[in-house]
Amino acid sequence: MLTSLHVEGRSLLHRIPVKPKLVGLMAFGLALYLVHQPLALTLALIATGSLYLSTGVGLSEGFRRLKPVLFTIAFLAVVNLLLLSPQEALVITLRLVAILLLAAAVTASTSIADFMAAVTDLARPLERLGLLKAADLGLALGLVLRFVPEIAGRYEALKEAHAARGIPVKLSRMLGPLIISTLKDADRIAEAIDARGIRGQ
Amino acid sequence: MTTRDIVLAALFTAIIIVLGFIPPVPIPLLPVPITAQSMGVMLAGCIIGAKRGAAAYALLVVLVAVGLPVLSGGRGGINVLMGPTGGYIFGWIIGAFVTGFLAEKLVREGQSAAKQMAGFFIASIVGGIGVVYLCGMPWLSVAAGTPFDKVVLGSLAFIPGDLVKAAIATLAARAVLVGYPLLPARA
Repeated sequence: MLTSLHVEGRSLLHRIPVKPKLVGLMAFGLALYLVHQPLALTLALIATGSLYLSTGVGLSEGFRRLKPVLFTIAFLAVVNLLLLSPQEALVITLRLVAILLLAAAVTASTSIADFMAAVTDLARPLERLGLLKAADLGLALGLVLRFVPEIAGRYEALKEAHAARGIPVKLSRMLGPLIISTLKDADRIAEAIDARGIRGQ
Repeated sequence: MTTRDIVLAALFTAIIIVLGFIPPVPIPLLPVPITAQSMGVMLAGCIIGAKRGAAAYALLVVLVAVGLPVLSGGRGGINVLMGPTGGYIFGWIIGAFVTGFLAEKLVREGQSAAKQMAGFFIASIVGGIGVVYLCGMPWLSVAAGTPFDKVVLGSLAFIPGDLVKAAIATLAARAVLVGYPLLPARA
């Protein structure tokens, strides 16, 4: 149900550790805002596009993943074409697609475990400020992944219960029961976590 | 945060993700179909309150960032966060907090149903629509180069759908308040 967007592989991008990759992505994204030449941006786009394909994601899967965002960018391009000069609209569109492709390449070439390690590291300064505990973050993310299939199953069961009674399935009717039945488990789950001393208190 | 707070936030994040699997519903006369997921900001704030609601959305953003397709339509990855609509996604965290803050202030157990519904509706509109757009529109304008006033104008097309969402979220939040109250009281 929740398959990671990570693609297994041994490409150059796969072998770079996660933090330099993220820093590089940010730097690239900001640097592109200083470039205003269509030719340079086209070259950047070709470069990031090849990097994206080098992760082994494949042409059709690679396109399928980016379709919703590409659609947004295409829509903005049409709007910009009406409001700005064609040159400006072209520059902006090329820039957005180039950044999109590099970000997608970083996503495809980094495993969830590596990302999680980076997120936990980023949470450390917040931990020192007493805002959160880095270990709690891992616990919470584990809980989310554990309960998504269960809640999806609960939604299906609610839908069938409505259909069996001849009541048309409407979102406004489903939300209440779905949320109450899910959150009612919170006390039981919290007790189970504390009983096992998982948070180490 | 107590263990219960963490569990409630995590369960709510999971609910928001499941809402993303539900196909969007087209509403007659409205230009934009309604996705169940974008109602989550209002639901999170009104049902589990400011702190836990914002935590639920922070968790969602982390899941997006680490490359899980948890947003509606199977979107995910840093490319979504860095894209032209990234501001809306970060805005959800603040939006959930503001919705929750207002709901905690305005809604109390023992009030009349009409008062509770009005409180949830106001909180949903200010936090779930106002704050989210305030974060999303400047980002969109900077990233895509579209003039800000035109972005504001274009956003108006989404407002009728958002009001329908706020109404549905209000009904759901009130149902949960009656069935299993979780909203912390704020004096």
